[in-house]
Amino acid sequence: MTDTQTPAPAAATAAVLVEHVSHVYGSGPEAHHAIEDLNFSIRPQEFVSIVGPSGAGKTTLLRTLAGLLTPSSGAVWVDGKRLSGVPESMAMVFQDYSRSLLPWLTIERNVAFPLAGSKHSRAERQEIVEESLAAVGLAGFGKRYPWQLSGGMQQRVAIARALAYRPKLMLMDEPFASVDAQTREGLEDLVLSIRDRYQMTILFVTHDIDESVYLANRVLVLSKPPAHIVEDLLVELPEPRDQITTREDPRFVQLRGHVARLIHGGPAEE
Amino acid sequence: MTTTDTSTRALATRAVRASSRRPRWRRGLVSLAYFVIPLAVVIGVWQLVTMLLPPAPFFPQPFAIFANLWKLLFGGPGGVTKVFTDDFLTTIGRMLLGYVIGAAWGVVVGTLMGLYRYARETVSPIVEFLRSIPATATLPLFIILLGGGNDMRVVFIAYGVSWFVLINTASGVGAINKTLLDLGKVFRISPARRLFRIILPAAMPKIFAGLRIASTAALLLAIVSEFMLATDGIGYLLVQAQGRFQLLNMWSWMVALAILGLLINFLLEWIEGRVLAWHKAARART
Repeated sequence: MTDTQTPAPAAATAAVLVEHVSHVYGSGPEAHHAIEDLNFSIRPQEFVSIVGPSGAGKTTLLRTLAGLLTPSSGAVWVDGKRLSGVPESMAMVFQDYSRSLLPWLTIERNVAFPLAGSKHSRAERQEIVEESLAAVGLAGFGKRYPWQLSGGMQQRVAIARALAYRPKLMLMDEPFASVDAQTREGLEDLVLSIRDRYQMTILFVTHDIDESVYLANRVLVLSKPPAHIVEDLLVELPEPRDQITTREDPRFVQLRGHVARLIHGGPAEE
Repeated sequence: MTTTDTSTRALATRAVRASSRRPRWRRGLVSLAYFVIPLAVVIGVWQLVTMLLPPAPFFPQPFAIFANLWKLLFGGPGGVTKVFTDDFLTTIGRMLLGYVIGAAWGVVVGTLMGLYRYARETVSPIVEFLRSIPATATLPLFIILLGGGNDMRVVFIAYGVSWFVLINTASGVGAINKTLLDLGKVFRISPARRLFRIILPAAMPKIFAGLRIASTAALLLAIVSEFMLATDGIGYLLVQAQGRFQLLNMWSWMVALAILGLLINFLLEWIEGRVLAWHKAARART
């Protein structure tokens, strides 16, 4: 991580580079220091989980990386460019799937929605939409409306919409927080499969420790606010991951315990 | 996942089949019956009572009222009467024009208020103050400012109507959830497209609620505006009938207004059903 000290070359090669980023909401005695002096970089096609206690500024960090929030201090580089506003070729999957889909549009038109400003022809767009829906296992559902689908399916539509945008960087804000456990496992494996297929860098915010370890190549553990990075953990579990064997793997068990201790405290490791 | 998919699909088709089992026309007929039967009972009782009791000049028989109204509107030599074209249609024209202008103004200003906090905070006190004045009470002022002509009446209706649409639009646009706004920004949607494809559709249920109340207000204000300094219109005819003690005519125009109000409401409901079909269906699911 010493290369973050020299911004120029690191910024050129990293998918995301975060330097001394702090954000304070409000001012004076009521000021809330959400994140403080965050430094990290993400390589292209890396899958990084960000995990931390609730209210730890995970969302603040993600909004900063998305260009939706200008941090109080520090700088963010995405794909070699210093961030000012929302970067190109970045897509986001929101936590609240029921609100991020437009209920007055069909699934097809929801997925096509971000393509409106693109140079694609109508036929190309249709092709992209169909391919994206197929990638999330929803081929043939294009004419339905979001409210006709289950929660897990709606979130898959949101993922398809992000895919149709052909992003290099995908930000996911606790995307599976409100689906049931079984659906969640399916969605986790779906995300891993599309990551391989579309070769994206994925930043995945979650409060679920198991999920953060299961999905990622790296886990960034945030502290309570003002949030800083407590530990930057490499996850060297065999790929492809498997819901049963990966979770049985002693290294997985050890890692999740380690992360849990970092977040909740508790008895020290042996 | 495939098993859940097929079962959801089966469920959806089953739901579609269940709702199509009862044909649309039959459902329409049932709701029409619910509407017509109570009304028919009231009119029937009224007719019976007025027939049985000695004639009361203040309360004519309903059938006589309907017959008289028909004669007033369609009893001319060539079908429609001069009253129909010069008064009845005049009132409808004024009302519609005032309604459209007022609604458009309300949507524009309401959207600006909903979008921009500064606009909302500076304009809100003025809006609250002005809309507290009963719109009907502003008629004398409009007459002094704009005279007693048709333009004045249209402007007066537009003014009174705009508040309902404005308030509802502002609250609908202002209450749009943050995720939808973020969605527009994240996918770099142009500001115009964000407004017309995300914000306004999301606010549409609220805007329509305002449009509905406004339609009732438009008819009310049209009639009130014709009470003063008018030479035509249903409101003018009502005052005339009262002055000349033509009670049958007075009742006839009241009934005409009731029918007109119902028609407008049905029309709006129909449009709303088309525009907001997604909203009704989505709400029925949750």
